[in-house]
Amino acid sequence: MTQDNVTDDRTDRSTIVSPEDAGNESETPDPSGESSLSRSIAAEGRDGERVGTAQTVLEARDLNVYYDDVQAIDDVSLAIPENRVTALIGPSGCGKSTFLRSINRMNDLIDAARIEGELLFRGKNVYDDDVDPVALRRKVGMVFQHPNPFPKSIYDNVAYGLRIQDDTENLDERVETALKRAALWDEVKDQLDESALDLSGGQQQRLCIARAIAVDPEVILMDEPASALDPIATSKIEDLIEELAEEYTVVIVTHNMQQAARISDRTAVFLTGGELVEYDDTETIFENPESQRVEDYITGKFG
Amino acid sequence: MPTGEAEWHGAESEVSQTRGRVFEALCLSATSIALVSVLVLLLYVANDAFKPLSADPGWHLVILVTLVLPAVGLALYYYRIDEPAGEVAYTVTGLPIVGFLLAGGLGVVFAELLAIDEYFALVIGVAAVVALLFAHTRLRPTAPLERVVLAPLLSIVVVFGTPPAAIAQFIGPDDWQLVVDPAVTVPGLGWHLDLGGFALTVPGLPYRIVSLPELVLKSPVLPLPSLQLLAALTLPIAGLAGWFVGRRHESRQDGLLATGLILVGGAATLALEPATGVAATTWLVVYTTTVVPLAVYVEGVYRRGQLAGLAFPVVLVAGGLAGAVLTRALGLAGPDVWLDWGYLTSAPNSDPALAGIYPALVGSIMLLIVVVMMTFPIGVGAAIYLEEYAPSSGLVGKFVTLIEINISNLAGVPSVVYGLLGLAVFIRWAQIPNGSIIVGGLTVGLLILPIVIIAAQEAIEAVPDSLRQASYGMGSTRWQTVRNIVLPEAMPGILTGTILALGRAIGETAPLLLVGIAASVRLAPNSFFDLGSAMPRQIFTWAFEPQAEFRYGVLAAGVVTLLVVLLVMNATAIVLRNKFERTNT
Repeated sequence: MTQDNVTDDRTDRSTIVSPEDAGNESETPDPSGESSLSRSIAAEGRDGERVGTAQTVLEARDLNVYYDDVQAIDDVSLAIPENRVTALIGPSGCGKSTFLRSINRMNDLIDAARIEGELLFRGKNVYDDDVDPVALRRKVGMVFQHPNPFPKSIYDNVAYGLRIQDDTENLDERVETALKRAALWDEVKDQLDESALDLSGGQQQRLCIARAIAVDPEVILMDEPASALDPIATSKIEDLIEELAEEYTVVIVTHNMQQAARISDRTAVFLTGGELVEYDDTETIFENPESQRVEDYITGKFG
Repeated sequence: MPTGEAEWHGAESEVSQTRGRVFEALCLSATSIALVSVLVLLLYVANDAFKPLSADPGWHLVILVTLVLPAVGLALYYYRIDEPAGEVAYTVTGLPIVGFLLAGGLGVVFAELLAIDEYFALVIGVAAVVALLFAHTRLRPTAPLERVVLAPLLSIVVVFGTPPAAIAQFIGPDDWQLVVDPAVTVPGLGWHLDLGGFALTVPGLPYRIVSLPELVLKSPVLPLPSLQLLAALTLPIAGLAGWFVGRRHESRQDGLLATGLILVGGAATLALEPATGVAATTWLVVYTTTVVPLAVYVEGVYRRGQLAGLAFPVVLVAGGLAGAVLTRALGLAGPDVWLDWGYLTSAPNSDPALAGIYPALVGSIMLLIVVVMMTFPIGVGAAIYLEEYAPSSGLVGKFVTLIEINISNLAGVPSVVYGLLGLAVFIRWAQIPNGSIIVGGLTVGLLILPIVIIAAQEAIEAVPDSLRQASYGMGSTRWQTVRNIVLPEAMPGILTGTILALGRAIGETAPLLLVGIAASVRLAPNSFFDLGSAMPRQIFTWAFEPQAEFRYGVLAAGVVTLLVVLLVMNATAIVLRNKFERTNT
């Protein structure tokens, strides 16, 4: 499974995810080499052909998360492919954000949270005793629902992650690269020393994305990154996410099903009680879901 | 139908509003009672302190015409027509007042605590440490841990010399002695510190390292005190001002020019000594704390073109001068005020006309220094632990909650109880001299510690959790998050809370009575272990003097002095809070 293979596959990605073109989509005949990925997909009774060309980077095995006695994630197993956008959708309180936050151990910060099962990042359980959550979070970055830039200058925001890692060589250059990748450079290049709080909401969110990618993580987790933004800012963020997937693995939680359909390659549907009901190619989930409950949810019968 | 309409908007809704109006009126009267009682108290005390009725009515008339009316008129103009200029006027009038107070504080420090040459030597020591650490940053940028170890070590060795010697020399009482203990290993290596009751022996260390400040003090070519101040006080301030101006103009050259001009101005004040007979060092302190900030501010106002605001202080000064000249020319006697310059600078006296509050003022300031040094690190440290580190659930979480409840309760414990605690712990057990400034400071420090902890906790809690999440999400450790995100955000709130707590500390009397702070001293304390008085304690003493002049005049002047210090502290807190709110929006 070479990098070229993956890149080639990406060139026609837009046709996969845009619903209007989905009908013209031809089958990609490469169901091989799915190792751990195939197991979880098989559990859902489907074969992930499109993403079969990508390696699994994150994998949950029988993951359970409890807040005190309340179960937030119920025995979830799924595999997230590299350099793809994976969307987690579902109604409020279904555990999709909890799942996202358990990937980079942000739930550690909540005293009441308790985790069972395994969550493998590149084959290593992140909940092993010898894993430092700080090291993990440097590999698995995060973007939050509400833009939360630090009350510092734009430059200092982007440089923050590099500075805390004492990695300050070519700082200017790397800040510029991160801002360019986040499609924000042209808007802010003349005001790098000004407060990040003076930016608009959409710009702030792109700044938060720049801040997350400045340290060059492998995975970026996004927790409803566009839900607090207007439609124009949202579409910019969506374009950005599609571009980011060329270099990073993106896992995105969203309430907006159209958004999931537009930008993701794979979609996981969580329903009430932290249960993963269906996980498949986005196209399959939206066109021809296995489960009646998923179909009801997607067509808006509940949730 | 007209009748139907009357029914739906008639009597019933009015009835429901009556209760609201009564409630509003009750709240208003509560506010008024509070305001009026404070005003009456202030007027009553101020009347005794300033005795305005002892002046000639003509004097009042002249001052009204020359000073009060123009100032009020201008203030109204700002309020009604030109509000930005009003803000400029307010700042440009307040800055020199704060500057003068600061100059007074520095004057007290130089006169009583730290002579100018000692200050100069200390600054050189600190500068040397900073320079060494900076050099280390350049030479070994990848070894921050070395600097963590190096920084305290260098500070101790370079600035203070061997620690126990420094303690004994700088702050220790006379019976703390550093002696070479024959029992300790090699003679001359290893120290033995005898602190009254305690004895501390550490073998193997050199007996004495001479610190850099000591070397400087012993140097035969020490420059004149005024030049020392120019280098150790005006130069850093000039550098700071230059950096500020340079940033404002976005021009390094302008910044350097500003620094140069300020230094030249400082050097020029030295010429004022022969002309005025007032010491050059006094001029330099006033110049640095008052003229420099004012000049930097006015330069900014000039750039923005808001010159209208500058008229206010001009009117005040010109009106005051004109009033003084006119009343003198017309032979109109001013009021016979108790609170004047002589009162602030002289010692208590059995003659009320000569009595002053200076030693108690100095005592209070030194007390506050002890209180700050004790409560700020402990209070903020405890707050950070409780908010950022302590678990909030489980058995330990319950214990933490218990501690937090207890801290809140401690904030309400009567101050007399703290006085007893101070007496038992610091005087009886730790053997610190009875009635010394440090005992008073530690006791009052204990008293406000819970208040500082609670204020700091609230400030830290107010930092949005999303910022912490963002920082942790970037792979910050807890310490990095606290240092880079939480503390900078919470600091203005912490400072505000601490200053308000200090306001309480400066007025406390009961604990001071119990730990034996002097009723009245003739000489201001020179070290923290000296016997000293404090303003509230001195006021308490005056309240029982037989002569009425003490009870009505001198005492009232003391109260006003105390209140002014308090108001200045509270104003600082308010300014900090406003600045904080402004940066947050």
